[in-house]
Amino acid sequence: MAATTVLPRPKAYDDTFFKPISIWLTTTDHKLIGIMYMVTGILSFVVGGLFALVIRLQLSQPNAKVVDAETYNQLISAHGVTMIFFFVTIFLTGIANYMVPIMIGARDMAFPRVNLLGFWLVPVSIILYYSGFFTGGALDAGWTGYAPLTEKAYQSHSLGVDFWALSLIVWAISGIMASTNFLTTIVALRAPGMKLTRLPLFVWAQISTSILLLVVGAPLAAAMILLEFDRQFGTQFFTTQGRPVLYQHLFWFFGHPEVYIMILPGFGMISEIIPVFARKPIFGYISMVMALFGIVFLSMTVWAHHMFTVGMNTYVEFFFMIMTMLIAVPTGIKFFNWIATAWWGSIEFTVPMKFVFGFMATFLIGGLTGIYLASVPVDTQLHQSYYVVAHLHYVLFGGSVFTIFAGLYYWFPKITGRMLNRKLGEWNFWTLFIGFNGTFLIMHTLGLEGMPRRIATYANPAWATTNTIITVSSFLIAFSVLLFLINVVRSWYGGEIAGNDPWGGNTLEWATTSPPPPYNFERVPAVRSFMPLRDLKDSGEFVDPEAMPLPA
Amino acid sequence: MAARARATFATIGLGAAALALSSCGGIGGISPIFPTPVSPNGQDIYNTYLLISIPALIIFVGVEGALLWVVLRYRRSRQPAGYVPPQVHGNTTLEIVWTVVPLAIVLAIAIGSFVTLQKDFQPIDNQQMSVTISGHQFGWIYTYDNGVVVDQEGTLAGDVPPFVVPVNTLVKLRFQGTDVIHSWWVPAISGKTDAVPGYDNFSWLKINQTGEWRGECAELCGAGHSTMQIIVQAMDQTDYDQWVQTQLAAKHATPSPSASPSPSPG
Repeated sequence: MAATTVLPRPKAYDDTFFKPISIWLTTTDHKLIGIMYMVTGILSFVVGGLFALVIRLQLSQPNAKVVDAETYNQLISAHGVTMIFFFVTIFLTGIANYMVPIMIGARDMAFPRVNLLGFWLVPVSIILYYSGFFTGGALDAGWTGYAPLTEKAYQSHSLGVDFWALSLIVWAISGIMASTNFLTTIVALRAPGMKLTRLPLFVWAQISTSILLLVVGAPLAAAMILLEFDRQFGTQFFTTQGRPVLYQHLFWFFGHPEVYIMILPGFGMISEIIPVFARKPIFGYISMVMALFGIVFLSMTVWAHHMFTVGMNTYVEFFFMIMTMLIAVPTGIKFFNWIATAWWGSIEFTVPMKFVFGFMATFLIGGLTGIYLASVPVDTQLHQSYYVVAHLHYVLFGGSVFTIFAGLYYWFPKITGRMLNRKLGEWNFWTLFIGFNGTFLIMHTLGLEGMPRRIATYANPAWATTNTIITVSSFLIAFSVLLFLINVVRSWYGGEIAGNDPWGGNTLEWATTSPPPPYNFERVPAVRSFMPLRDLKDSGEFVDPEAMPLPA
Repeated sequence: MAARARATFATIGLGAAALALSSCGGIGGISPIFPTPVSPNGQDIYNTYLLISIPALIIFVGVEGALLWVVLRYRRSRQPAGYVPPQVHGNTTLEIVWTVVPLAIVLAIAIGSFVTLQKDFQPIDNQQMSVTISGHQFGWIYTYDNGVVVDQEGTLAGDVPPFVVPVNTLVKLRFQGTDVIHSWWVPAISGKTDAVPGYDNFSWLKINQTGEWRGECAELCGAGHSTMQIIVQAMDQTDYDQWVQTQLAAKHATPSPSASPSPSPG
């Protein structure tokens, strides 16, 4: 026998998903917890999307009676709550849970059991929220749940609001746990050589996101606790006799940073993906990091731009207007740096790269309409109209969802060991891009013509054609998501074997096997820049993880 | 070949998106801006919207154009074989430029907006008449100085009695909420103002022509939210005086004059 220390090892990708349920229930492995977060997020995406389809059917024609007004109000609330709290935030926590430890060369999160508890609070939160439907009706005041409409005097027929409030308290606790864990992991468990200036930008984005959630999670819980005191113990914080606008301040102090919690990880993914497929390093690494922290700071000083019609002092309004507009500066820096990264590149238009460019093309529109909305006089026209609905979907769908798809197509091979099918991916992208713009581009005009959001139906025949086009396009989005689901299931079973580094990556996750072993690395590679894997490949020092000897 | 086909497809897709946005104005019923304003404060908002649109459209065309250029010019299939991209890590001058230029643009927009804000969004005291608009689930009640009361109890069809004002008259509007928060919005006149329980909000209008304009409640206020329709009618002074007389006569003819017309929320 030859004296070699290389041992054969099982093909790990054969057993990623088919594990005994007891392992899924009790695992503290950040990768399995990450997968559970992501699967929970995608399931919520499907549920929230089904709500949206019913909403669109109801609005497709004037005076439609698909659902009654009370059911409609529950549906729009459930759509918002599901997409924001249970899909985007949860999915992004999952992908970060999976990738952050590997990208910094750690073996796991800093507190694996806190990670486990934090994840399992999510299904608790989700079940609490949907339980509202069985108490005579779930939350029916929109996802923001403005008081006094959510107070007992106006919402006494069910416990929907109470279950929603409890659900968000649990959700906030879970988020605070995850954020603490991310920050500690990134501060304490970086591989040797992984200085802060060498962190991948996705990890920087996760630092920013975690700081935000850590700061604003508590005010959200506070708002919900005060609301529950009003409803159950007869206090008068936000009632008609109290101060209803105080609720809006508390809610939006959470609510606006939450928008950035849902987009900054996406920014991070874009900053990872473009350099790989353009074969160029990221342009302006330091300014990218500074822009992230600029956004973190500014996003906590803009909340009252959601409240320009409640009647504030004009100087206060001016402050919130100018802080809001200033966010365009760091966001612009990121945009220009991304374009400069791709400029002179040798760009391979893989499916993830298509989603990256789809994201930039659409998010730009969301950013520009944001400037209109930030201007106080113009906002008094656009506020609470379909213009805002269009704007927020350009930011959260054209923004967050496109980045989520980009990230999934990019990292699916690492997570499962198999590629997502390229042809289905192309179809997925183009149907989504066309369906999305068909749905939300002309929606701006409905708001300009005076259609308020959250109306259960309308009599105005002038809005009929536009609404019909929007409804038809929204079903194209649904078709696209169906293609995506088929692609995920098919590829997870029988997709093309990916190998460890299918894209020619720059960062550490591509230096280990696909999927990585439970301890992530046989041997943590040396880190000399923010592109550690590329350094090793360039200098010829890279050792294939399959051929690496097992630790003694 | 396949790469070239994909390139063409990408061009068409992104081009169509750009075209769709720029051509909104041409399609009937799809408007890129608010209805023509009939009140000076609405006109100022309209002008601010146009002011923002100038840099916004330039940035839109510039950035989408740059994206399109990158997609078409720098794809691997268009680069020479064995092309190694320059390993550029940044450029301080460029980065300063694209920090300072957007900063200047948003500051200009903010100052322009603030001028309008100071001009039109302060509580006024030189009004020629004033009306208190009270929102409730689900309708609006307009109480005039002269005792006239218009009760716009909501219907989805919007066949509500009009809130009548004389033309070219500066009318101060005081907003009150009696139960939950409502928001009074007639796009052709001006922006919306919330009717919040607990304190009064103010706005004004000065309509420059006779006519009728529609609006509705813009803040979700319960199951009847979509029925809180608004009609504002502007009349010549003589027609208006006659309308006031009719209203007052009808009010005195009613056996039980409504002292507190707002129904209790229960």
